[in-house]
Amino acid sequence: MPKVLVCYKWVLDEQDIKIKAGDLSLDSGRAKGKISDYDKNAIEAAVLLVEKYGGSAAALTFGNTKVKQSLKDALSRGPGQAYWIGDDAIADKADAFITANILAAAIRKTDSYDLILCGEGSSDVYNQQIAPRIATLLEIPIVTFVKEIGIETEKVIATRKLGECTETIEIKGPAVISVLPEINKPRIPSLKQVMAAAKKPSAEIKVSDLGLARDDLEAKVVVLSDAGYVMNRKNILFKEASQADNVAKLVANLAQEGIS
Amino acid sequence: MPGIWVYSEDNTLARQLLTAGQKLKETMGQPLGVIAISGEEIHAFIAAGADKVYVLQGENSWPESYAGAVADIISKEAASVLLIGGTLRGKDVAAKVAAKRKTGLVTDALTVKYANNRIETTRLVYGGLAVRTEAVSLPALVTIPPRTYAEAEPAADRQGEISTIDAANKDTRLEIRNVCPIVREAVDISTAQRIVCVGRGLAKKEDLAAVEKLVKAIGAEIGCTRGLSEDYHWLPNERYIGISGQKVKPELYISLGVSGQVQHVVGMRDSKLIVAVDTNEKAPIFAAADYGIVGDLYEVLPLLTEAMANK
Ligand SMILES: Cc1cc2nc3c(=O)[nH]c(=O)nc-3n(C[C@H](O)[C@H](O)[C@H](O)COP(=O)(O)OP(=O)(O)OC[C@H]3O[C@@H](n4cnc5c(N)ncnc54)[C@H](O)[C@@H]3O)c2cc1C
Repeated sequence: MPKVLVCYKWVLDEQDIKIKAGDLSLDSGRAKGKISDYDKNAIEAAVLLVEKYGGSAAALTFGNTKVKQSLKDALSRGPGQAYWIGDDAIADKADAFITANILAAAIRKTDSYDLILCGEGSSDVYNQQIAPRIATLLEIPIVTFVKEIGIETEKVIATRKLGECTETIEIKGPAVISVLPEINKPRIPSLKQVMAAAKKPSAEIKVSDLGLARDDLEAKVVVLSDAGYVMNRKNILFKEASQADNVAKLVANLAQEGIS
Repeated sequence: MPGIWVYSEDNTLARQLLTAGQKLKETMGQPLGVIAISGEEIHAFIAAGADKVYVLQGENSWPESYAGAVADIISKEAASVLLIGGTLRGKDVAAKVAAKRKTGLVTDALTVKYANNRIETTRLVYGGLAVRTEAVSLPALVTIPPRTYAEAEPAADRQGEISTIDAANKDTRLEIRNVCPIVREAVDISTAQRIVCVGRGLAKKEDLAAVEKLVKAIGAEIGCTRGLSEDYHWLPNERYIGISGQKVKPELYISLGVSGQVQHVVGMRDSKLIVAVDTNEKAPIFAAADYGIVGDLYEVLPLLTEAMANK
């Protein structure tokens, strides 16, 4: 009966981020938060394991104080409890180094787990570092890019997918696994699940209680600037009622571009 | 001695990274080295600019198990920079080395330079919506995607130092049961010159036959959005284009029923010419397109196929 912990990140929904026309800076003023898409797969994988093999699933997240808003959504997806770390000053400068230090310390503090699941990357900055970093800090094995997880008598069997091959890996003892989006389809929580989530326990963990040194909280990677990606395209649109006309115009233009 | 190091389990990629490494060597004035897990191309690395090559030899053939040995070398050599080939295996190793050495790591850098006593990089964030410039303090780790740089040109008569190192990379906690290659399709769409890309505007799998006609008529490869391969399994995963799929830059890209969300567009926006067909005039794909037809693909497709076939 596995004890599973799943880590997730509360990110800005990139669909709500606008590029300002003049200086190409980003306006995320209206961006809503969401559980990182890849992490929804990780949560689903954790919950499916528990539904199949018993045991328990807990969720852990670190971010600014707004992460608290994520607990209801996270818990309605099936984990039995949640831990959250919300610190505006640290989250603001947190790179993968800081985030992994915090998560690993929090994992040590809360409990021991058979399996720790993460998404393959976060949908905002997609560093793809947290799972291997946490495993290294906790000194346990890591299997990345997994598309299938099963449990056979005391062993976890993970099938990972790389560009050209799939590998099946047998793991003894506790481990970290990062999952690919294709591993499952995250559930859409039902009203009942959303209601039940409100009654599930969640606990705040303070960064100051994690026993981290000051150096562990100093970023190694600093953001200098963000600039919206601009597309310079012709944007010529054919929208007559007659598709024959539209196609004729398109083909004529393609011919001018040297394409036939 | 501080130096610039390159690591990839893929020797071709390592030679591409040497190109980036050589530029850093010029600006930083430090020697350039390669860490490899096979000894086959030692001399090619030296010819391509390496001043020193380490070959790691371990009992475990799983590339991911070499992270500890790579971390030991960069520590022993007091490396200032480690460039890592950004394959999935490389990213796994990179993050483990970064955690062991307590360093920063930038993933999938588009550019890398030395400035202000740090490494400055650019990369895509928010699904490709924006380019982020970052500074990493030394020692800095950076992964670089395949084909970002051309392979470094070999020079005759270059000398370099070679060391073979035993890597203690056995891990009894993990057993790799089987490593089975996925048979890649004959054509890799990442190098195709023309691509017809279908999205969820296509109503059913059978309709792919009509798309194939256009594909044939213009000598293209078929591509798709993620949903069509990952959710519907109408086309193999190797054919979907986007941030999590293939990056393509053909001379001509035509989309049919693709809305143009940023995660898809980032995979095709380097195409030379982009044509989109979609019923929704407001679909974001039109902002990414040179030419667009607002209309039902079921009406447009046969007309377009005929017109192109008659050329
Ligand atoms: C973290 C993350 C990573 C992702 N990675 C990728 C990726 O790598 N690649 C990728 O493709 N997606 C990716 N996605 C998904 C992406 O955001 C979009 O959901 C997806 O690309 C949409 O696919 P689509 O355009 O086929 O479908 P839809 O968005 O559903 O668009 C269908 C389009 O078809 C049009 N249409 C419908 N009927 C017709 C008709 N008869 N004739 C003409 N037009 C019609 C509609 O107007 C619409 O514009 C990712 C998403 C996330 C969150």
